[in-house]
Amino acid sequence: MSGQKKLMDLLRRSVFPGIFMVIIGVTGAYGQAIGLTEFIYPVEILKPTDSVSKLKVGDVAPDFTLPAVDGGKISLHGYAGKKNVVISFVPAAWTPVCSAQWPGYNIAQDLFNKHDAILLGITVDNVPTLYAWTKQMANSREKLWFPVLSDFYPHGAVASKYGVLRMEGVAERALFVINKKGVIAYIDIHDINQRPPLEDLARVLEKVNRP
Amino acid sequence: MRKSKAQKVNILFFLFITLSSWCALQGTGTAIGFDPLKKHALGKNRSLPPFELPMPQEESAKSYLGLSGTENFEIGQIKAQVLIIEVFNFYCPHCQRAAPQVNELYQEIESRPDLKAKIKIIGIGGGNSPYEVNSFKEKYKVPFPLFSDQSMEISSILGVKGTPTFIWVKLHRKESQEQFYFGEGGFQDTRQFISDIIKLSGLKEEAIK
Repeated sequence: MSGQKKLMDLLRRSVFPGIFMVIIGVTGAYGQAIGLTEFIYPVEILKPTDSVSKLKVGDVAPDFTLPAVDGGKISLHGYAGKKNVVISFVPAAWTPVCSAQWPGYNIAQDLFNKHDAILLGITVDNVPTLYAWTKQMANSREKLWFPVLSDFYPHGAVASKYGVLRMEGVAERALFVINKKGVIAYIDIHDINQRPPLEDLARVLEKVNRP
Repeated sequence: MRKSKAQKVNILFFLFITLSSWCALQGTGTAIGFDPLKKHALGKNRSLPPFELPMPQEESAKSYLGLSGTENFEIGQIKAQVLIIEVFNFYCPHCQRAAPQVNELYQEIESRPDLKAKIKIIGIGGGNSPYEVNSFKEKYKVPFPLFSDQSMEISSILGVKGTPTFIWVKLHRKESQEQFYFGEGGFQDTRQFISDIIKLSGLKEEAIK
């Protein structure tokens, strides 16, 4: 056996596996580091709102029943007399502002609890998409603390009832606060390109339990 | 001596693997505690552009930073040798995940008599209102001062694109401060993070003197 051959054999046995380990190590770390935020779809600036309002403060909130990501169905009337309900419509899963808004609410549970309020997150995406999307936004193995509902079929029916279904078929970035009597106490059909500041919602919740 | 085709292929393959893994490692920066493949983690050494922050209201925050009065202050007024700036966002899951670890970083520095007075940490909430910054502080019981940067003015002066971003600054002279590290993403090991700061800033040498 020539010296070169011996060298190649040595390389094959010892060095190559080591190099592969290094490569696997580096790419592994890479995947972990970048995380799923890399999957968020870039969106250009959109028309701030693109729907016709159907509801106003003081109206009785239209009831609905939608499938939840955690399984089962959730109805608005289930909270009547028990909880104030904040509905957060966001346009779509895997888009920039939406992918930040709910993680913020996810660490603001105390604010909702303090005012006896529950949050319902709604998009027009189907359940599996919402499952994947919300899983990556929650903290490690935890889940989001609030129910996420799918208004996928008939497409955007609840968004449409609330007057927040945009022309292109996604929802507005909208917040509705519904008091325990089932009456709408606050509507913010926000500029779709921007995140509603948390303090606006906090101010509304401060007042929602007052007679 | 003639090489067989198989041997040639082997040698070429070996070279390819070696080179490509070397490039991959180069691309990682030296991974000083940060996510290895963030290419821009190293470099960006420069004089820190000037900006002002509002004086914290709590006395504890003021005394931590060695500040007094009520006026806005500049980074150079902070009494320390090294400042760690974390640009974070209330809405960013990565920042939420990193929060307990950054608290641990603070505790570790505060527990070391050789570092306590020399390294300070502040957080800047890029795009967050004061209310959101305060909610973040309460949620994670953040022990170091946090500031709101709702208009993103400071974040853009600092060149921050994503959060969390960690910036290390040497505060040798009041009029100019040197940024000696800029890294996007969280860090893996708190102690490694601290020893990298010491190494890159030259703090240790001063401690020995």
